[in-house]
Amino acid sequence: MASSSTIAPKLDIDLHVKYIQNLDKKKDYTYHLTEHLRLNGVYWGLTALWIMGRQDALDREEMIKYVLSCWDEVAGTFGAHPGHDGHILGTLSGIQILIMQDAIDRVDVDRITKFLLARVAPNGSVSGDEFGESDTRFSYIMASALSLLGRLDDLDALYDGKGRDLVVQNIVDSMNFDGAFGTEPGAESHGGQVWVAVGALALLDRLHMVDNELLGWWLSERQLPNGGLNGRPEKLEDVCYSWWDLASLSIIGKIRWINGDKLINFILDAQDLEDGGIADRKGDWVDVFHTVFGVAGLSLLGYPGLQDIDPLYCMPADIIEKRGLKKPYFARPRMEQYPESS
Amino acid sequence: MHGIKRSRLSAQAEEAKRIKEQAKIEAYVGLQDDVLARKRSKDYTTEALKKTTDLLDLNPEFYTIWNYRRHIFLRGLFPNTNLQGIVKLLSTDLRLTMAYLQVHPKVYWIWNHRKWCLENCPDGPEGTEGWKNEFWKMELLVVEKLLDSDARNFHAWAYRRYILASLPKSYTPQRSAQDELRYTRKKIESNFSNFSAWHCRTKILAGVWEGLSEAQVQSQKDQEFELVRQALWTDPEDQSGWLYHRWLIGSQPPEPTLRRELESIKELNEAEPDSKWCLNALAHYLLLFAGSPWTETEEADNARKEAKEILRRLAEIDSDRKERYQDLGKPPQVIRAVLMILSFSTIIKLC
Ligand SMILES: [Zn+2]
Repeated sequence: MASSSTIAPKLDIDLHVKYIQNLDKKKDYTYHLTEHLRLNGVYWGLTALWIMGRQDALDREEMIKYVLSCWDEVAGTFGAHPGHDGHILGTLSGIQILIMQDAIDRVDVDRITKFLLARVAPNGSVSGDEFGESDTRFSYIMASALSLLGRLDDLDALYDGKGRDLVVQNIVDSMNFDGAFGTEPGAESHGGQVWVAVGALALLDRLHMVDNELLGWWLSERQLPNGGLNGRPEKLEDVCYSWWDLASLSIIGKIRWINGDKLINFILDAQDLEDGGIADRKGDWVDVFHTVFGVAGLSLLGYPGLQDIDPLYCMPADIIEKRGLKKPYFARPRMEQYPESS
Repeated sequence: MHGIKRSRLSAQAEEAKRIKEQAKIEAYVGLQDDVLARKRSKDYTTEALKKTTDLLDLNPEFYTIWNYRRHIFLRGLFPNTNLQGIVKLLSTDLRLTMAYLQVHPKVYWIWNHRKWCLENCPDGPEGTEGWKNEFWKMELLVVEKLLDSDARNFHAWAYRRYILASLPKSYTPQRSAQDELRYTRKKIESNFSNFSAWHCRTKILAGVWEGLSEAQVQSQKDQEFELVRQALWTDPEDQSGWLYHRWLIGSQPPEPTLRRELESIKELNEAEPDSKWCLNALAHYLLLFAGSPWTETEEADNARKEAKEILRRLAEIDSDRKERYQDLGKPPQVIRAVLMILSFSTIIKLC
């Protein structure tokens, strides 16, 4: 209740842009330890910049060269960083960046498609790499990547034409009585897994398999009195769920079922107003992961001055629209100013 | 980064930290370059394995190094040893990953490697499953220990599920669903707020009930209602019990069950009139009652009226979710119209 009556700071776009531009400059020990997230980090940074309308703040050609340098010739796809093994996690980030930079023609789409299709097991579960841990996160990545590459037809052709249905069934089997989803069949519902499951089902044109009323209830109960969202019952709030939970609500048309203004304030309060960036919650260290999901959440909530984001792809809405990939969802209309009236 | 408090260093302290870190960074980068060079040259020796351990000690999230380590085993070390030797190597990695998990209990790559070790464990000497039995016994202990330190760690719950689903055929003592029910009950009774354990129980019971008669299922359900009632009365604002209760009720509860549970929740509501979860459950069950085939028209109308009044109250006391309560109080056509208007505004915005 306190957070809605006190005035939250405005989104400091200039500061966050500077924060993202400087990410590669501070090469401390942690920077080296997080190399396995580098390509994801570039995608997070670029997407955040795009939402803030500043996509040119990082050098395009340099970025494309970096993405291409992450190619793993043995696996036939992208790894997290040059010298790292190809993995489905780096694969999607690489594709997303190249699509945003309009440079997807510079990569071997056939080989990536082959890598992605090889991840689909006969039971419809999807693995991350040759060692085969499967998770509905990877089902989403496979669907999103193939969709962005315009190759979902290749999934349909898999397993005697049953490829899509197998993948869908595996996701639906990980749905629980609360209408939400876990990492695999049997696993507890989790906000992050809800987004990947709902996103994948929407991308594969099977959204009707979701119980919107039940899932909308579970998702709306993720909001805590301080406005933040958590990922599971009786857990702490965290800015990244402002994406996972909120984008899911947006896809199933229930974004009105939480208090949007309170969530806006919660995200704004998590900004570092000295050096830029957004943290998991107020007063914690910032990182680019929470920065992108914070601004992406703000965009879906209609925060003024931001570009629209597509909740299925977590990419700029106009890029998705231009590629003819737009599917229905419900975002809050963009406000002229925030708070709307004083 | 999650849950790490921000602190500001002075420029001086920042510089001191940087200089102090420099040696650490150089050592790390040197080791990383060495290991990646060995990987490129397909070095699958014991020496290379040792280097990967050194690197993973510093950074257990470096998935490429876990992959390399597995290749060292599969392509270099396993082919040059006997089954006993393989078991020994895998035991070392189980010890290693256990040490890592105590510090990083939520790193996917560590859990993955542990699973890989189990999947590559030979059965046992002389046609037995001796080695496997030993491994799995240890894993059950390990995962229960990790769940003791964080009862909500979903990686640990997933691992536990995996261990139980893949127990060697000759494993003793045999594990039954009753053991699992006892385990989750223990977890729940030590903390009613542990939804992970409640969730796990829904899965176990669903399996158990498949083979039982309707009467048997009903009597077991009644015991579950008894358990969850304790949780609801202990803390009516905790979601965990209410979610479980809703699962127990399901979509078509028998008349006596629904009537009894409605009465019981009304009683709780009288004791705790402002409990939102209590009201929320009442509204939902009243609507379920009104829609049941065995409900008389008049009773159904009254239940609907009562539910509507509760939803109106909920929109006030739980105003963050007021739109949901308002939707629930409306006939379905109205909601569709609201959504049409919303989607229309999105379209306008895009044009
Ligand atoms: Zn987070």
